[in-house]
Amino acid sequence: MANLETSLKECLSSIDGAKAAALVDYTSGMALGTLGGTKDFNLEVAAAGNTDVVRSKLRTMEHLGLKEEIEDILITLNTQYHMIRLLKGRGGNGLFLYLVLDASRANLAMARHQLRRIETELEV
Amino acid sequence: MTRVTTTWTTHETTSAALGALAAEGATGALSGERGIVYLAAGRVVHVESAFTPDLGALLTRSGAVAADGWWDAVDRGGRQARVGHRLVDSGRLAAGALEVCHLGALFDAAYFVLAHDTRAHRFRPGAVHWLGAVRSVPVDVVVRECGRRRALLDRIWPDPDIDTVPLTRVPDAGAAALPVRRGRTLTQVDGVRTASQIASALACRTYHTLVELRRLAADGLVTAAPPAPASVAPGPSPRDVVWDDPDTALLRRLRDALEAL
Repeated sequence: MANLETSLKECLSSIDGAKAAALVDYTSGMALGTLGGTKDFNLEVAAAGNTDVVRSKLRTMEHLGLKEEIEDILITLNTQYHMIRLLKGRGGNGLFLYLVLDASRANLAMARHQLRRIETELEV
Repeated sequence: MTRVTTTWTTHETTSAALGALAAEGATGALSGERGIVYLAAGRVVHVESAFTPDLGALLTRSGAVAADGWWDAVDRGGRQARVGHRLVDSGRLAAGALEVCHLGALFDAAYFVLAHDTRAHRFRPGAVHWLGAVRSVPVDVVVRECGRRRALLDRIWPDPDIDTVPLTRVPDAGAAALPVRRGRTLTQVDGVRTASQIASALACRTYHTLVELRRLAADGLVTAAPPAPASVAPGPSPRDVVWDDPDTALLRRLRDALEAL
């Protein structure tokens, strides 16, 4: 029964190495909630940009005729991981959780697992 | 918080009036041609527009909340402006789901209020929305987001008429292999309905429907319907609706209740 703020807080406090998180509507590219952004790392810009990543992958899947759904997308940088998890469920259609992780401290398998749990608690 | 303020009247656009009210930390409802913006302590707490489905329609038609449960929450919480709390406290909806749907509906309505950024009609100091406090958003964030959304639509297909006029399919245009959402939107285009009526039929936010419709227009599948002869006009068009009665929320509930009888 978590609300938006506590869900995002839980992303940062319970996932090792998590630095920033956002819940994003990928039709409009708008961040519905953000936590952990800094002036060097604007989460709203990241939300809009990563919307293009999600849309592009969905379009590619259409072209390929794949009927599957995206569970998550992982982008590996030199020192960071960026994880995108698309939300399922009735109200969650068209939303994704975006998570920035410090690569030296993060455990990817655990992060994926915990993100899935936070998603169910958000119940959207 | 409820002191009478008049500085907003000097501004030519709704967004500038909202900025002035935000700077004063005002609480109340600002009505314009296409909707009403509710402020609390200078922040946007809710927006309503006749062009977009309200929160109740989105929640009940999508199946997230049963219609009985929604009306029960409206009955019990409406007078104290605590409908949102009611839904969550009674276990009908998770707090996060309410916030996400509320923000979705707020920005959806705000797009229409600010896309046609004319002079605001009226400000009612102290007016609160019956939904109650869910989340609040700074005025500048709402204004910026609406600008970004407008730019996004114009990048897809630069014809703002698609947003408001009745739409029709282009004859003989091949509509093979459309993505699910776009295909579903196309099936609702019948030469009579406007984007907001299509969104309502799909129980989908209007802006999200506009994105699909402009893509369909860009693909050459959908175009504005030729204007109907004036003699058979089915009532006033949404464009002519004047929002000078600020209690439209009540009227809308009344209409929905009458329809449900």
